[in-house]
Amino acid sequence: MTSAAQQTRSDIVAMLPRLRRFARALTGQVADADDIVQIAVERALMRIDQFQTGTRLDSWLFSIVRNAWIDEARSRTRRGKVFAPAELGEQIGNDGVAEAHSKLEADDVWMAMRKLPEEQREAVALVCVEGLAYREAAEALGVPIGTLTSRLARGREALQVMLG
Amino acid sequence: MSVSDETLMAFADGELASDERAAVEAALAGDVALRERLEAHQRLRARLSSAFDGALNESVPERLTEAARPPVGEVVTLADLRARRWSVREWGAMAASIAAGLVIGIGIMNAQAPMIASSNGELTARGALAEALDTQLASDAPDVVRIGLSFASQDGGYCRTFSITRSDTSGLACREGNGWAIAMTAQGGGGEVRMAGAPEAILGAVDAIIVGEPLDQRGEEQARARGWR
Repeated sequence: MTSAAQQTRSDIVAMLPRLRRFARALTGQVADADDIVQIAVERALMRIDQFQTGTRLDSWLFSIVRNAWIDEARSRTRRGKVFAPAELGEQIGNDGVAEAHSKLEADDVWMAMRKLPEEQREAVALVCVEGLAYREAAEALGVPIGTLTSRLARGREALQVMLG
Repeated sequence: MSVSDETLMAFADGELASDERAAVEAALAGDVALRERLEAHQRLRARLSSAFDGALNESVPERLTEAARPPVGEVVTLADLRARRWSVREWGAMAASIAAGLVIGIGIMNAQAPMIASSNGELTARGALAEALDTQLASDAPDVVRIGLSFASQDGGYCRTFSITRSDTSGLACREGNGWAIAMTAQGGGGEVRMAGAPEAILGAVDAIIVGEPLDQRGEEQARARGWR
């Protein structure tokens, strides 16, 4: 492995907390988010040679996380599995971790985010949660900047209505 | 001045150029309702980040740091090489370390009917694989070899992906002279079950070198008629 690739690996480790935050905003579930991050990290390492040093690692990783989530959501739909509705609070067992997770997932903001259409949620997650500039977020999602801003505006409007 | 929702949002996100920003600031100074709309944007943004910021302070589960950790010691064993993606350089290095002309005996390169052999430090297709690359179309029923995508590469020549049905190995071969140089192979995509695609490592390599679209059946027939030149 080249030393550039080694460096990228340790940069990815440093990015893990932010990848988890982004995945949580995207999936609205703590456990799902970690699964998606794991898949994304594995994919990123497989393609580590494709990452161009000097470009933004966070945008690159966010787009891999987002694609992993879309793939996972699609394959669950195909297999007919539904997402566990966390607001029902049906956590198996009552260990502290699961309890903390369901408490988080029952948060108003988490619930409102889960109700947004996918394309609005990912725009909101990148800009309002991760703080990416419009241009970076548009690149990570592979859409023109005008599309990004209109999804972002609609997403925020819907959230305002839900969160009051 | 009336400020549209999108402009106000861009202002709240710090996305406006200085002249537009100054215009919004001027409008805000004399418009209570506009200030309230701006505050609503700011409140929402603050709520969103605080709702998810917990992830930044929690310790990261070990399985995630483990996933990002480099393999211990980077000792390259034959099993490692077979299990992971092969780059052109690795093939070259391995080929160079073996006496030129010697047939390598791993996986798809079995001694009785080698499909890949090293000659003059390069890996080339032999036997059934060479024949399939020369003549077989993607639409043909696979026998020993299944052909995936055929396409023009940035080097100006044709390349084709293939899989060896009995050994669960896929690869990428590019035309060189009268033969086919093996650019890379990877595990997966072979086997008895007809799968839709080659492993991701192969597809990644295709993405990196393809020019235009993969050939359709007609394109393949024409390229074959010209001897893949």
